[in-house]
Amino acid sequence: MPRALRQRKQVEIISLDEAVKKYVRDSQICAFSGFTGFNRNPFAFAWEMVRQGKKDLHIMDRHGSCCTWLLNSVGAMSVFETNWMGWGEMAGKLDVNLDRQYKAGKIILEDYAHGATAMRFLAGAIGAPFIPYHAPLGSDLYNPDYDALGRAGKRDGSHPKIAKKKFLQMEDPFFGEGEVILLPAARPDLAILHVAQAGEKGTARWRGVGTIDKEIAFAADKVILVCEELIPEAELRRSPENNQIPFFTVDAIVVQPWGAFPSSVPFYYDYDAPFMRTMDAASRKEDDLKKWLDEWVFGPKSWEDLVEKLGTKRLLDLKADSVTGYSTRMMRGKKPAPRMTMPLSVARSGY
Amino acid sequence: MSKSMDELMELVDKMPDEPAKPGEFLLPELMAIAVAHEVRDDDIVFAGTGLPMVGIMTANMLNAPHALLIYESGICDGKTMHVPMSVCDQRAANMSSSLGGLVDTFGYYLQQGYVTLGFLGGAAIDQYGGVNVTSIGDYFNPSHRFTGSGGNSDIGTMASRTAFIILQEKRRFLERNDYTTTPGWWCWDHKTREWKPKKEVWKNTPFANCGPDAVVTNMGVYQFDENGIIYLATNHPGVSVAQVQENCGFKLNVERLSGETKAPTYKELFVLREFVDPELIFLPQKMEYPPAIKSIIES
Repeated sequence: MPRALRQRKQVEIISLDEAVKKYVRDSQICAFSGFTGFNRNPFAFAWEMVRQGKKDLHIMDRHGSCCTWLLNSVGAMSVFETNWMGWGEMAGKLDVNLDRQYKAGKIILEDYAHGATAMRFLAGAIGAPFIPYHAPLGSDLYNPDYDALGRAGKRDGSHPKIAKKKFLQMEDPFFGEGEVILLPAARPDLAILHVAQAGEKGTARWRGVGTIDKEIAFAADKVILVCEELIPEAELRRSPENNQIPFFTVDAIVVQPWGAFPSSVPFYYDYDAPFMRTMDAASRKEDDLKKWLDEWVFGPKSWEDLVEKLGTKRLLDLKADSVTGYSTRMMRGKKPAPRMTMPLSVARSGY
Repeated sequence: MSKSMDELMELVDKMPDEPAKPGEFLLPELMAIAVAHEVRDDDIVFAGTGLPMVGIMTANMLNAPHALLIYESGICDGKTMHVPMSVCDQRAANMSSSLGGLVDTFGYYLQQGYVTLGFLGGAAIDQYGGVNVTSIGDYFNPSHRFTGSGGNSDIGTMASRTAFIILQEKRRFLERNDYTTTPGWWCWDHKTREWKPKKEVWKNTPFANCGPDAVVTNMGVYQFDENGIIYLATNHPGVSVAQVQENCGFKLNVERLSGETKAPTYKELFVLREFVDPELIFLPQKMEYPPAIKSIIES
């Protein structure tokens, strides 16, 4: 069956609770925005998915994040196409919840690499069925014996979004540049993007890195934006070169300030490394994890209630500086951040 | 210390360029500086989180000020003031030339062939520089599962040269890896199922001559010979060659040893501690400054 042509969308502005109810189905393929647990994770959305008991999810992502950490903490994922099982880098490297699920045989892990995933989403975004890439020949990532979805019998062509092969190696037929790997397009059912600003029609903007968020938005059938601020569409159109998401691709907008906590939204708030460390610590014992989930996920009445629980001091410490886009008040390591006005490299040698 | 950062900046060039004495620095500091020494001033560097990032930031502040640092979430030439905890940290994007995403970094920069140095971590390495960051034992039923590739396999094969930083233990320095995430100078040709030199597997691609160049561990610094086999280039001060061999799972070539790894200079130590990671995110609790540095700060 050929891929259906896309339809122009009419955006709706709905609550977090309604968005999860309406757009998330069990067994769906989802993709989240951001990068690891640190940048623009739509955590409030994943949090609500867990509260509503969504399960058997197939996640396509370049790596773990606060979102996948939480979904794995309740065993809500059944397939993870990823490159990196970590989620918190310096605040929690390996996702202990995921490791537990994997070793218990409860989740299928399909290993790719960052470049490969970026290319797969790019193919998905531009409507191509596959894309050639100089993916590392000789890596076991491209060993035909190591096709986890194939081994599980999921590449029989019955699922329209699961490719019949993990990859295909072929000789470059055009320029004779050796062997290349063809990668299947990533085509999630649903993309959830945390953005800084959205207009009421769906145009969206963030500052800082883009990771693969624009590609994810175009690759997915349905797109939900969770935004820090809903602002007049007219305001965003005064400088369209600063916008990344065109309005006609967006299905729904959820206005959820602090919705990416504990990850960062550059120029809004920083990531909360100490909080992420407590998540990592909690995941190491099942009893501690249960307590953590009761306290932070099932306990609060709403996301606002959770933010209130975080307390004013923490929110003030996380608030981003309007020049650098991050905060120097959080204690990330063992010492406070120094007061810097210029990077040493630039002060000494320019650019 | 009550001096402002601007005042400390003035002191950098007053710090002596001579090597610190044993006992005046810590092992992670020596390793970070060994990383910095691999960076050349004209390099375009693509590095991972952790000590590689700390090392290349130091290089950018001292020996390689024009090295261009790429961070994989989409950052081109970030000029950091505060050490990032992740390659997507807004701190890494500070004063960068442009920001994009993974298609930019892995496509426009890496696959296009701009990147000259990759600096990466690894869980285990084979004698050809092949790195495993995926799993130990049977892939589908691993005795231990690591995080997986991330950008390791892409960067480690498409950067002109790649350096790795790895904890050295017998079970991590192997003749062959259980799983190869990032192939070294010899690897499997999965099409013919033959074990071959990487140059043959990658024949005619733009990347046939790209591969591992150096390995920094807690015991020494390694390089690769004409046959793509690892050899010990320098052992760290206080570590004997016999100890290095004891912590290696294969017979190591030590014939080309050129002496001990250079200790960090006082200037390098000062920059590392005051400007690269003063928050102590990657580095351990710092020890007191040696008199050579203290006297300058206090004067």
